[in-house]
Amino acid sequence: MHSLLVKNAYVIDPLNNIRGEIMDIAIKDGKIVESVKDSAEVIDAKGQLTLPGGVDSHSHICGTKVNFGRYMSPEDMRAGRGRAQPYMYPVSGYSVPTVYANTYRYSKMGYTTVLEGAMAPLEARHTHEEFSYNTLQDTLANTLFDGNWSVMEAVAEGDLKKVAAIVGWTLAAVKGFGVKITNPGGTEMWGWGKDIGCIHKKVDYFGVTPAEILDYLIRANEMLNLPHSAHLHTNNLGKPGNYKCTLETMQRAPDLNDKRQTLYMTHVQFHSYGGSKWADFCSKADDVSWMLNRKPNIAIDMGQVMFGKTTTMTADGPMEFNLYRLHHNKWSNHDVELETASGIIPVHYSRKNLVNSIMWAIGLELALMTKNPWQCMLATDNPNGAPFVKYPEVIALLMSQKYREEQLKTVNPDTEKRVFLPSLDRELDINEIAIMTRAAQAKALGIVDIGKGHLGVGADADVAVYPIKMDDIDPSKDYQKIIDGFSQTDYTIKRGRAVSKKGDCLVLGDNATIWVKPKISEKNDISKDPEFMKKFERYYTVSLDNYPVQEEYLHRNICIETETGI
Amino acid sequence: MKITLAIKKRDNPYIPIEAEAITTKTFLEKKPEDISVWYGNSEQKLTEIFDVRVEGDAKSEDEVTIIMSGNCSAVKRVGEYMNGGIIEIEGNIGHHCGNFMSGGLIEIRGNAESWLGREMRGGKIICHGDAQNYCGSGYRGEKKGMTGGTIEVMGSAGDFTAETLAGGEVIIRGNTGNLAGAEMIDGTLKIYGDAHLPCANMKGGTCHVYGTAYNVLPTFEYKGLIKAGDQASQMHMFNGDIANRNAKGTLYAAKYEFFK
Repeated sequence: MHSLLVKNAYVIDPLNNIRGEIMDIAIKDGKIVESVKDSAEVIDAKGQLTLPGGVDSHSHICGTKVNFGRYMSPEDMRAGRGRAQPYMYPVSGYSVPTVYANTYRYSKMGYTTVLEGAMAPLEARHTHEEFSYNTLQDTLANTLFDGNWSVMEAVAEGDLKKVAAIVGWTLAAVKGFGVKITNPGGTEMWGWGKDIGCIHKKVDYFGVTPAEILDYLIRANEMLNLPHSAHLHTNNLGKPGNYKCTLETMQRAPDLNDKRQTLYMTHVQFHSYGGSKWADFCSKADDVSWMLNRKPNIAIDMGQVMFGKTTTMTADGPMEFNLYRLHHNKWSNHDVELETASGIIPVHYSRKNLVNSIMWAIGLELALMTKNPWQCMLATDNPNGAPFVKYPEVIALLMSQKYREEQLKTVNPDTEKRVFLPSLDRELDINEIAIMTRAAQAKALGIVDIGKGHLGVGADADVAVYPIKMDDIDPSKDYQKIIDGFSQTDYTIKRGRAVSKKGDCLVLGDNATIWVKPKISEKNDISKDPEFMKKFERYYTVSLDNYPVQEEYLHRNICIETETGI
Repeated sequence: MKITLAIKKRDNPYIPIEAEAITTKTFLEKKPEDISVWYGNSEQKLTEIFDVRVEGDAKSEDEVTIIMSGNCSAVKRVGEYMNGGIIEIEGNIGHHCGNFMSGGLIEIRGNAESWLGREMRGGKIICHGDAQNYCGSGYRGEKKGMTGGTIEVMGSAGDFTAETLAGGEVIIRGNTGNLAGAEMIDGTLKIYGDAHLPCANMKGGTCHVYGTAYNVLPTFEYKGLIKAGDQASQMHMFNGDIANRNAKGTLYAAKYEFFK
């Protein structure tokens, strides 16, 4: 059996309260153990920064809409080309790269677990097929329920048990992990060429409001005892003045779980806009983080925007159509039968552009004004805000006020009047960064118990050794060293094997897909419900029997079974 | 400096040769023995594929002349990123000849394959035969194609000639296929023969069709007969493509037929 010893590691492990101790990490059979025999293979960390493997709790890397982004942007494949080498396939692409490019780049940055932010249940097979090539990270998929007809009908009937039964069955059928709600109700309205606005307008033909859909799905999520909370992309993304909608949504969020948050709000940067039109657009990060600081039952991720070319892709169809009308560039919108929608357009975030500069500042403000780092995770909503390869720069911006000041000089000069960033002098320490990039994510996703996000005995041996000596550098001055260090690990260890060394992969890899299977009684099995079956016969292009994703699509997988009581 | 490259006989003449190394700059910096090209999936010395003869000396790229003879229709990317000097091709040439070139002259006696002068920045390409598709265009998905220089094709050209043209001049003495000047932003396109669906979705620039413009899109606004171009007779003028906001493109045609 394989054993490995990582010696002289400067370990930061927030979940086990280890803050910069020099220690050895013993690994046996893919798990962390107390000690190993002397015959074990040794990796000398040389006192360098060693963290649990990174966890990305919201990223778009696999599935139909990512793939459509690839179709749409052949010019993107001209960047980021890499030749084949032992254990690495040739890669290309920058904002929507090939699956192998994603997995190699994440691995190079020390990430070992990635969640795909939005999977349409009907198109789950595609996501799982791409997952099987995302070989160096364990993968999870959030499943979309925002415009699900059955859910909306059950909400209209006021039947919480039925909502839970539908969600539970669908998650197990499509091998999903969490409940994703993108612009609740809005995607269904988009099918009729309309938008929903904020949370109190009724969805046509169903008579339910986004607020009701959200309330029911949050409660159904807890009823099913799912590891992750409801994962929400709030209504009105990207519209000036949308912070009011965000605040109201936050205020309504109940507190139903003492282990983790009850509501995960994603890419909140895109939802913290003040003003009434683009001309008076400004930051409202203060109000949003003020609310967040008073609501420990909510966790968010930043959705940081970084300058440069990228591709936006989301299940929020109407929002992408509005963006298209702004840019008049190429564009795609897609309607997923009875479930959801999606849209894709390429964008270029420019430093000269005032709106883009304000967006850039808002993401940082959210992270700096949120007092508890466990509540705010570091993410760019890859690739919507920026491709994930920009994470090291985001880390440096959060750790160094000097770097922020230098960057502020390069953005649109009017930005300072509309944002709070110049007045913020907080500099996050490395412990907080470790929380924001792995520990908080693992906790929010509820995968600490299966050994993710920490280095305690029994945890999965996912370890990242970064070429940074914390004693020798001052992150607030040596921000370039932080960027370089976080860009490329010396070693990324996944399930007890070194998978990547200084950017080169050492194995072909073999990932696991983590999915949930809520135990639902025969009586509440929605797939036996005549009304539900009829929906498939009448409206879906697939039959009920062909809908579930077979286990053959998963290869290695970890199934989390939950007790539900329904 | 004069370099003569005569292609040797190969067992299979269809195996592509990726020869971005054949530009005036490489011969100025390297000896022919040190230059390599890709022959199918194997990297080979230039001297294995060509008989190379070098005469004289040169101080700058402008003093270098490369003469290629034999059937080079499988030789790709000749003259990529060329800044100066002359490449003369006595027969046919393969795909992507003159990619991104910014100066100098490429003269082709035979026919050119697709993507001739793709995303060209300056300089001149003269092709005495026909050119295939995407002559003087941008690469797939790109918004801005050729930005400067001149391409002149004495024969006909294929589909998507001068697609996303953003500067410079493309002259086709014969006919073009479908969608010449599609998505063009700026620059000049002259077609002395016929064109089909010319300038679809153009935002700017000028296109002259001295033959017949077939299938002119209904989103082109007819402006009347006007004296234009370098021929004596008057031409029909169109403004377009008004499917775009603030479209500033102009299409002149000696004869035209609207799309039916």
